[in-house]
Amino acid sequence: MYTLEIKRFLRSKGAMGGLVLLLVVGCLSLLIGRQFVAKQQQAQAEIAQFQREHIARNVRYHQDEMGLLLYYLRFTLVNPNQPLNALSIGQRDVQNSIQSVTIRGLENQKYDTDLHNPMNLLMGNLDFSFVVIFLFPLLIIALTYNLLSEEKEEGTLRLVATQARSTLLFLLRKMSIRILAVFTVLLLLLGIAVLALKLPLDNTTLAFVAVAGLYLLFWFALSTWVISWQRSSGLNAVALLSFWVVLTLVFPAALNAYLINRYPVPEALNTMIQQREGYHEKWDLPKAVTMDKFYAHYPQFKKYPLPDKTFSWLWYYAMQQMGDDESQQAALELKQKLQQREQATAFFAYFSPSIHTQLAFNRLAAADLQQQLQYWEATERFHEKLRLYFYPRIFEGSEVKVEKWDSFRVEQFAAEVEVNWAEVVWPLVLISLLVGGVGLWGLERRQVLV
Amino acid sequence: MRPSPILLIAWQFWRHTLKSGVLLPLLGLFCLLLAYATFTGWKTYQVQNKLRKHYQAEVRHEWEESPDKHPHRMAHYGYLVFRLKHPLSAFDYGLESYTGNAVFLEAHRQNTVNFSEASFSTGLLRFGDISMAMLLQVVLPLMLFFLGFNSITSEREQGTLKILFSQGVGWKELLWGKTLGLLAIAGLFFLPVVLTLLFLTALAAAEQSQNWLRLGSILGFYGAFIALLSLVAVLVSAYSSSSKTALVRLIGLWLLWAIVLPRSTQALGNYWHPSPSKVEFEARVEQDLIKEGDSHNPDDPHYKAIKDSLLTHYKVDSVQQLPFNYSGFIMSEGERISSEIYNRHWHKLMQVYTQQNRLAETSALLNPFMALKNLSMGLAGTDFHAYVDFQQQVETFRYQLAQRMNRLQMRYISNQRLGPQDKPYQISRKYWREMPDWQYQYLNLGQVIQQQVLSILALLFWLLALWALLFYSSKKLRVI
Repeated sequence: MYTLEIKRFLRSKGAMGGLVLLLVVGCLSLLIGRQFVAKQQQAQAEIAQFQREHIARNVRYHQDEMGLLLYYLRFTLVNPNQPLNALSIGQRDVQNSIQSVTIRGLENQKYDTDLHNPMNLLMGNLDFSFVVIFLFPLLIIALTYNLLSEEKEEGTLRLVATQARSTLLFLLRKMSIRILAVFTVLLLLLGIAVLALKLPLDNTTLAFVAVAGLYLLFWFALSTWVISWQRSSGLNAVALLSFWVVLTLVFPAALNAYLINRYPVPEALNTMIQQREGYHEKWDLPKAVTMDKFYAHYPQFKKYPLPDKTFSWLWYYAMQQMGDDESQQAALELKQKLQQREQATAFFAYFSPSIHTQLAFNRLAAADLQQQLQYWEATERFHEKLRLYFYPRIFEGSEVKVEKWDSFRVEQFAAEVEVNWAEVVWPLVLISLLVGGVGLWGLERRQVLV
Repeated sequence: MRPSPILLIAWQFWRHTLKSGVLLPLLGLFCLLLAYATFTGWKTYQVQNKLRKHYQAEVRHEWEESPDKHPHRMAHYGYLVFRLKHPLSAFDYGLESYTGNAVFLEAHRQNTVNFSEASFSTGLLRFGDISMAMLLQVVLPLMLFFLGFNSITSEREQGTLKILFSQGVGWKELLWGKTLGLLAIAGLFFLPVVLTLLFLTALAAAEQSQNWLRLGSILGFYGAFIALLSLVAVLVSAYSSSSKTALVRLIGLWLLWAIVLPRSTQALGNYWHPSPSKVEFEARVEQDLIKEGDSHNPDDPHYKAIKDSLLTHYKVDSVQQLPFNYSGFIMSEGERISSEIYNRHWHKLMQVYTQQNRLAETSALLNPFMALKNLSMGLAGTDFHAYVDFQQQVETFRYQLAQRMNRLQMRYISNQRLGPQDKPYQISRKYWREMPDWQYQYLNLGQVIQQQVLSILALLFWLLALWALLFYSSKKLRVI
């Protein structure tokens, strides 16, 4: 019986066509992901060379004044792409993966974005996560919506009922063949991904595979539930497609609109204004105003008194510092707002497998908002470290030549990707068990009507 | 043409659909989503614009109230520009969520436009925005296909087709009648949209000119799109042997047009025409800058030549004797050169982006959904052209600001070097006020229509082709 069913499935042109098409689109998505990561990695590699030349040239131009030299010098902290990023581009195309900062005020440097074509962002990436979240469910719907109704509509169910021990078993058999076929394609694609993208076979990759597999199982469960209604093929198709539209288009978009309105971020614009005023107004105020605040922030620099000159680099960098210090509150509020958005999204994700899957993919690929916030914080530490290193040298007026400029290499930020298996897996397992269970129970209870 | 059978068939379809029990849930759901999209869209527009206007006014106030100072300090104090949303962006978000909203303008440096909604997104934005336009472009077509897939097949399956034909109804009447009937049903969905838009436009009438014209165009093009959808649904139904086949075909078309083609054409365009990253872009600009003259390099040959020719021309021995401020002159020259180079590279970048977009744009000939999408964004002032135009206006404003400050420096700042204890040179704050405030000019309707010619033609082409197909089909189709 099993082999017969498999033969029947393999012979259907539509099913095979769908599987092959998905395989092709899947490979295309891997190519796109690979190109994306390669482009970013290339830029990250080039910046090292660029920084070396940039520092050497400026050191040549401004040999006499440490303060002036540091006005120009940029130092880079790179956020390297994780291998999984090629499967889920996530937020990484919007975010900047290279922060090149001077030791002047950080607040008007750290939010600078990368260059991107907004039309690409609008249409969305055709990455592997899109293939899994949007396209695989469509194939599952196409393969399963008429599993029972077709037999009924073609009048073959009566025949089946006489041969099979139970129609439920018969249905499960048909379903399992389709699950097998879909998973073959999924695993084939993931296998290609592992080989072509040199993904490490670690915990993170495993979690990624698990999430993808469970997400597809959810769709099989949903389909089983719809089949258990025992309605016509047409109605099944309409119902399943409606679920698809709601789960992958309408609900996430509506939730996004809600979050944007619930947690707007005027703090972003406010930070910008505060930073600019905090620094520039100091030029027109008595120097003591700036210096008192600066010495209060860094008592260790009290030993450098303000020189009796109209302009001094000590005063200049103290003013720059004020831009950051006075916009700190607004910047903190901005971060808190984003955390609130993050928490609200995580809550709603429990109820939507597609959102959960996208967020899990992004998290595992270190391509989510959390990771961006971490990168911002790492940039703050990086910047502070540079400041604390150069401030005394500028204030002392130490010689440019003495410094070993070659040692200022590009630094790397390492995102922390923790795999919390329970958090990643359970929501999908629970909702699949619930939906699939109701479906099977329905089929078992209401005898299949022949 | 005999109108009465057509109207009769349309009327019958209308009554049948109204009674079928599918319409009300769909219509209800659509109106619910519409209300939500309208509410959030309008609120976002209002809250954001209020905020941005508030901060823009603050920026202007601080600018005008700045005390006497050196003009070059003012050039670095610079200006903040916040992008205002077009009222129709509440209807079609377009690129709104993906383009930056605030930019810091200063001398010598072109900063990026930052703080896009996408950069603050938790990743949800990847699923897209929900807006009135999205509902009309994605959800409504699917609903219409659900309502129209069996318009002809059900007659065929119930055997009523033969009866109709025996009563003297032809294919032409049947197809037109069903299309008209479906169009009337679509009208039920479209009507609340029209009313909402009229109301919102009346509210925002004072804020932008040409709103009514734009609204009229939007309604016209969406009306054409809905007519097109009705034709597609009825024709597919006529060519399908069973309702199930018709449904599967229509769903397939919808997936292809609304989901798969837009994304994959854009992705391929992006794949084939890689654009430089910011690092690459800035490195190229800097390279050219070093080649053509680096005002920060004290030994740069270009600036040395300028200095020598100035000294000869004014017959003086040192720059301190020149009748204008020398460093102001050099900075103005530097600004001119650097922004020329920047603009050259920026235009190249925009060309790459345009190439990336071209495939998706051209796919409108195969995909009427794409034609409407671009057209709608253009009319709502939220498309790629509006994005490019905004950046151009911003750069022009930045350049004028920097050069105005350089002119002030050349004219009013002395050439004599100051001692370390001297008070720095300043000019009166009355000059700040002379600089005009930032004012964004939206592209006018004529420009938008010109940019969207391809989309308009594609939409017209589709309507004509379907109309022709309907005529052709009325002769070719068989009853059984």
